[in-house]
Amino acid sequence: MRFDIIDAPNFALLRIGFDAAGEKIVAESGAMVAMGSEIDVQTSMRGGLLAAAKRKVLGGESIFQNTFTAKQAGQQLFLAPPAEGDMRQKVLAPNEPFFLQSGAYVAHIGDGLVIDTKWGGVKGFFSGVGLFLLKITGPGTIFYASYGALHEVNVGAEGYTADTGHIVGFSHGLEYNVRSFGGMKGLFFSGEGLVADFRGQGTLYLQTRNPSSLASFLHPFRPVKARNS
Amino acid sequence: MRFNTHYRPAHSLTVVELGPNETVRAEASAMISMTRNIRVATTGPLNRSTGGFFGGLKRAFLGGETFFTNTFTAENGPGHVTLAPALTGDMLVHELAQNHQLFIQGGSYVAAPDSVQLDTKWQGMKGFFSGESLFFLNATGYGPVLMNAFGAVQTIDLDGELIVDTGHLVAFTSGLQYTVSKASAGWIKSFLSGEGFVLKFTGRGRLYVQTRNPAEYGRSVGRALPPREA
Repeated sequence: MRFDIIDAPNFALLRIGFDAAGEKIVAESGAMVAMGSEIDVQTSMRGGLLAAAKRKVLGGESIFQNTFTAKQAGQQLFLAPPAEGDMRQKVLAPNEPFFLQSGAYVAHIGDGLVIDTKWGGVKGFFSGVGLFLLKITGPGTIFYASYGALHEVNVGAEGYTADTGHIVGFSHGLEYNVRSFGGMKGLFFSGEGLVADFRGQGTLYLQTRNPSSLASFLHPFRPVKARNS
Repeated sequence: MRFNTHYRPAHSLTVVELGPNETVRAEASAMISMTRNIRVATTGPLNRSTGGFFGGLKRAFLGGETFFTNTFTAENGPGHVTLAPALTGDMLVHELAQNHQLFIQGGSYVAAPDSVQLDTKWQGMKGFFSGESLFFLNATGYGPVLMNAFGAVQTIDLDGELIVDTGHLVAFTSGLQYTVSKASAGWIKSFLSGEGFVLKFTGRGRLYVQTRNPAEYGRSVGRALPPREA
């Protein structure tokens, strides 16, 4: 299987070329842009019904995922995330964990790759909708996307602080605590106002735009419901 | 203090590099991330003269703009803060010189150092009737002023006259005067033209214009959204 990310950074698209029958990739439902006619698509609920339902409630992520399997060599598949922005891949070694904000997941390759939706669930719940994390453990390759540009930060001993709505994911070696951010920010604007303080050693991936900020901007422009009196 | 802007023009993000004990004052919702040695303080609404806290609140809700700023100070050595706007678009820096002024459309201000003072110049009834929340932050002092644009930025060095749509204006320098006027002859035609109110600039100075209008965007997308409670 070959893949590359094209049309980055503003409208990143994942292009997959299948080299042999039986090769497969799993993707978030709704990610398929175009595909060859000799590809089999199977829809399933990731992690089973209960995990999927919980994820839907807590993370707002779609319950379903699609598995694309080539029925013959030479087939092509294109996948895209919902928002404008960049996309990256991360190759994980056996037992290497990676943490991804649930909405950033696009696709993955590798039967041995484990996506743990339970991890961080409680923590994610109490920290607001902005930080429901998936714990992904290798071996395999994961594709993830940002709204806006992807900004990489190497976190060292001194630590780092980031707005939860702008966190895409982070590598093994980092831990975090969520706290409310002073001031009027959360109260009136993004509706979150939470930041995560990171410590340890690793790489943090941020997105330069935030879906909830866009939603907050658009909210006043919605039509107003007529009163029934 | 240095402003380094990345990912221009569509998804810009500015890294504000602070020296030890340096302070940057940023629009309250702009912070994306920061080093751990940054002390944050909230400095309420800027505009005591135009209605105080509740006046600020009211306009923050009505116009979608923030009247609140946070100050970020690097303690025990250098540090940084990253800032970005909510919408798609570029960020720009205007170097304010002593004895000059910059008038910034309320929603376009992002950040400036301590050496820049901000005051609001509320456009009162003029702004109210235009349907656009027309207010300007008046920046004096000296230093870099960071602003955001919805879309790309056009820098126009004017010597003469120019008419600019209120929703497309980012900022302008002193040396330019303006009057608010109708886009078309007559009230009804002006309304129908879709241009609403415009600013007619006269004099010599610099204008920054954004290539998209946030209110137009909000209206075009917002009407497709489900109704909200009153």
